[in-house]
Amino acid sequence: MNYLQAYAISGAGMAVEKARVDLIAVNLANAHSTRSADGGTFRPLRLVSAAGAADFPALLAGALRGPEVVEVRPLDTPPRLAYEPGHPDADAKGFVAYPGIQPAAEMILMLTATRAYEANVAALNAAKSMALRSLEIGS
Amino acid sequence: MAADPVSFLPALRPIDAQPAAGLAAAGGQAAATTDFGSWLAQSLDGVNRQLAQADRGLQSLATGEAQNLHQVMIAMEEARIGMQLIVQVRNRLLDAYQEILRMQV
Amino acid sequence: MIGGIQAAGTQMAKLALDAAALRHQAIAHNIANLSSEGYVPLGVSFDAQLLAQRRALAPRPEIVEQTWRGAGPRPQEVDREMVELSQNTIHYQALLRALGRQLSILGSAISDGRRS
Repeated sequence: MNYLQAYAISGAGMAVEKARVDLIAVNLANAHSTRSADGGTFRPLRLVSAAGAADFPALLAGALRGPEVVEVRPLDTPPRLAYEPGHPDADAKGFVAYPGIQPAAEMILMLTATRAYEANVAALNAAKSMALRSLEIGS
Repeated sequence: MAADPVSFLPALRPIDAQPAAGLAAAGGQAAATTDFGSWLAQSLDGVNRQLAQADRGLQSLATGEAQNLHQVMIAMEEARIGMQLIVQVRNRLLDAYQEILRMQV
Repeated sequence: MIGGIQAAGTQMAKLALDAAALRHQAIAHNIANLSSEGYVPLGVSFDAQLLAQRRALAPRPEIVEQTWRGAGPRPQEVDREMVELSQNTIHYQALLRALGRQLSILGSAISDGRRS
């Protein structure tokens, strides 16, 4: 359905932004997680998305693709040390390493991801209204 | 001191040379298109092509190969207008023929 | 009788309309079951390529369960179903409008362009 491509592209964009917001929710929920699957404290995650085929030959061939998720990358932010001698995960000096998550940065990223999601929805609605108008040719 | 009053006028050409050449060319062209029969045959071919184009557009829409929607719609609209035009030409021809038949000799 | 005059386009459009209507049923079922546990989304098995090659035995569209073949996790269901809904709606309306126009061209030839 080549002329219905616009909807699939917007759908891919919406899926990517939703995955990004999911990762931000994971980061915010794990603000105090001192253990993680790969040992050590939790590291904040970032979604890396790459653009699909989006150049003129792809446009001619009708093979435009939306963005796709490439990887989920943990950041190497230094952990936040807090002095809690009674904590089970305290080190020899009594410091606990909490994840170095900055709530302000996460909230800003969530806002931009939400706006991008709404923009994708607007693009899909615009494509739909254009197609409906073109059906009225000759009426 | 006064400028020469007639020097800026373009050189006068013989009056009948230029228009005659143009009219001869137009006359040749007019002779090619005043043949109503050939014009009608050409129009029928054109409408046939437009109808085939519209049908191909509908097929591409049904199989999902249509690149964009407005091209299909425009092709169908052109086919419809061409068809209506040729049908009206046919009606007028028939009316003229019947009117000639009605003429009292 | 009309089938002999304009066979290919109208036949294919009718089949594609059947498939689009059935696909709408599948999408509506998926949207209704968005929060059901272990629900496998339904789709329509309509081979547009067979239709393009004008096989006389182009298969009738049927509702089948969709398997996820893409890379990565299956995307969120709501987004995907809304996108498919928009796609299918536009496709259905376009087919309907185009088919109606094709038949009206034939109608104008039959009625000599007179309104009676």
